[in-house]
Amino acid sequence: MELPATIEPRVLHLSLVVGGELVDSIGGKLGRVDDLIVRLGDSDYPPVTGLLATVAGRQVFVPAESVAAIDYGHATLRGVQLDLRPFERRPAEVLLKKDVLDRQLINVDGARLVRSNEIEIARLEGWYRVVGVDVGLSGLLRRLVPRLLAGKIETTRFLDWASVEPFTGHVPTVRLRVPHPKLARLHPAQLADLVEAASHQEGAEIIDAVGGDPELEADVFEELEPGHQLEFVEDRTDDEVAEILARMEADDAADLVAGLPEERRELVIESLPPVQRRRVRALLGYDPATAGGLMSPEFVCVYSQATHAEVLDRVRSSHASTDALSWIYVMNSRKHLNGAIPLAGLLQASPELTAGEIAGTPQRVRPAADLEEVARLMTDYDLTVVPVVDEEERVIGVITVDDVLELVLPRGWRRHFGLLGEDY
Amino acid sequence: MSVRALRRFAAGRALARRLRLRPRNRLTLRLAALFAFLGPGLIAANAGNDAGGIATYSSVGAKYGYDLLWMMVLITVSLIVVQEMAARMGAVTGKGLAELIREQYGVRWSMFATVSVLVANLGICISEFVGIGAALNLAGIPFQLSVPIAAVGVWLLVVRGSYKAAERVFVLMTIPFFAYPIAAILAHPHWGAVAKASVVPHVQLNSAYLFLFIATAGTTITPFMQLYVQSAVVERGLGPDELNAERAEVVSGSIFANLVAGFIIIATGATLYVHGDHTVNNAADAARALAPFAGRFAELLFAIGLLGASLLAAAILPVTAAYVIAETFGFEKGISRSPRQAPVFVGVITVLIGIGMLVAIVPGVPVIKLLVLVQVVNGVLLPVTLFFVWRLAANRELMGQYANGRTFNVLAGATVLATSTLSALLVAVTCAGLF
Repeated sequence: MELPATIEPRVLHLSLVVGGELVDSIGGKLGRVDDLIVRLGDSDYPPVTGLLATVAGRQVFVPAESVAAIDYGHATLRGVQLDLRPFERRPAEVLLKKDVLDRQLINVDGARLVRSNEIEIARLEGWYRVVGVDVGLSGLLRRLVPRLLAGKIETTRFLDWASVEPFTGHVPTVRLRVPHPKLARLHPAQLADLVEAASHQEGAEIIDAVGGDPELEADVFEELEPGHQLEFVEDRTDDEVAEILARMEADDAADLVAGLPEERRELVIESLPPVQRRRVRALLGYDPATAGGLMSPEFVCVYSQATHAEVLDRVRSSHASTDALSWIYVMNSRKHLNGAIPLAGLLQASPELTAGEIAGTPQRVRPAADLEEVARLMTDYDLTVVPVVDEEERVIGVITVDDVLELVLPRGWRRHFGLLGEDY
Repeated sequence: MSVRALRRFAAGRALARRLRLRPRNRLTLRLAALFAFLGPGLIAANAGNDAGGIATYSSVGAKYGYDLLWMMVLITVSLIVVQEMAARMGAVTGKGLAELIREQYGVRWSMFATVSVLVANLGICISEFVGIGAALNLAGIPFQLSVPIAAVGVWLLVVRGSYKAAERVFVLMTIPFFAYPIAAILAHPHWGAVAKASVVPHVQLNSAYLFLFIATAGTTITPFMQLYVQSAVVERGLGPDELNAERAEVVSGSIFANLVAGFIIIATGATLYVHGDHTVNNAADAARALAPFAGRFAELLFAIGLLGASLLAAAILPVTAAYVIAETFGFEKGISRSPRQAPVFVGVITVLIGIGMLVAIVPGVPVIKLLVLVQVVNGVLLPVTLFFVWRLAANRELMGQYANGRTFNVLAGATVLATSTLSALLVAVTCAGLF
């Protein structure tokens, strides 16, 4: 989101505030301002809770209550007395210069990582608060040139703090205490992209932040590249890994299990809930480069004599993905596949008909079929779902177009975040 | 379904089938694993054996025979100490060196490093393309033809490929370095004298000797090596649990690179020095000069080595500069990224390779003067980089249990101090020579 830097009240640049003098109410010089302390978490614009200053060679903490005003070149105290307390970190507090400036942040609106070149502060609702970060050139330039010139460099636009999440994993006392509520606004695929672009520690912080919502965490894991998936299951117990796997699509879960070190694989599978355990076991038997490895075991297959209402009921109560549900398969009394109904076709059909009467001729592949064969079949018959059948013509799984598309898409087309796009 | 796993799986299966590979025993497996692991450490150290490096080592051999071999041993230890710290930081923090400098020491130092790296790497890049032209000129190919082709090839490799594929090619590019041991053997050195000179220090107190001494140190430990190895470890996605393997890779890569340098000294020491031909101006000169004493084959081997080294460095130096710029300013980075995903990263590589190529095909480029300038920039930058590497690797807040141990930290500090002093001396001597 864009904020004009000319808003009232005046925006202060952090780099011009730190290094200024600490003066008492009658103008006597006491020391130097080293850093600003803010408390993250409870409001959109984190308030300044104190200053870190050097007074007579010692680093002291100046609580916000005893500060009257902060401005370029000087911070003024309310009184003439200064209580010399050493600085101690309190929960959820970070030092703006040491912990936030020059570091990576998540721009939640753009779903990308940015580096903060300058931090913008303004007096809002009665007190100084962080209102944004500058990720542009002017902030960088201001800190490179001598102080005299620095004041002349104006920032025209900066990133609103409301659309920014800082990483706090490197701050000892804040670690894992600050929630990152803004991350919930992102799609699992965007979160996964961020995790992949960030360093391990930062990635772990993002995953921890979404950990409060197990469904979202599992979705993020589904989207992660295998290398990163393994990176983040390494430090978890078998039970914790199983918990994530239980919520993932069976085929993605099986892939993750296949990547685990051999000694862990069986332990993790044992910890899975029975249904998922059976599916994963079945999928692990197949070569991942073939239809058997690509397929998902969740689909709807009905007997040909099922009534229209019965079929709809099966669709309603199914847990299969919506993609897999766009086709319903029909089998004869010996469970041989003998028909396929598109979901739309089912809805348009007259309610008196049975499944066998509505169904058309099905296409199918064997588990050993390779990716090319599946892709060709989908293209030739305009299918979004292809059923996989065993030697006895029984449906054992379906391959959805999204799984195939992901593989046939040229390298580089998949990731689209992180262009040198506009931040504002 | 996971894309990368499947591609890897399919490719691995196809390769194994084509090669009918069936690992027979543990040793084969282990060698295969080692080869699969070769990467950042080997590449970074070997890119230092480039055209400028070969010229320096050849001069050392031509002028003083084996007298300076003992210092190659010391330099190897120093290189290992420094490279290990950088690789460890990459694996533990998941961040590049430029990124860490910015986060821990502020924007001014990181800007200084960035600008220096950009200038120095551009200079070296030009000299690499000149080296490529000179090497192929020995085979009668005009440089107006060979240099552009090489530039396009290097660009495609770095920009179009995945990190893994590019890394494989970089590792393969170190094969031409085996030309030097062979050339050294063809030169029939007195192996007893070589062994003695490698362990017994031999010091002369004259300015020419000291200059070559510090020039050798300067060309063997260069700032881009730490920057590259750390960024590449990050892009490779190595974590703390793979640290020991990566350490082994860094150590063996550094030893290999300096053995190559040693063999260059031995080859020229056994021929040019013995026959009183004491001056070598550049790498191609060294190759030509070798022919009368060690045969046409030795000349060919030197030319092959020069070509491989220059190609490798012509790829690594632009990549390092791009990593540094992307890390400092927070742009998307990585060899695996396409131009659309990481325009700045790819842009920096393209500009460096482009300028390097264009300047190299202009006849009469003052390569020697250029390299002197590069030497000064690198000489100023090296103490800064090494100091940061040392302090960052010892930072417990950043590195946790992987921070430098107490004894190692003292050793690392001494190494940094010694190397920085040599580097400062080199700058002083070079600048004094200019005026």
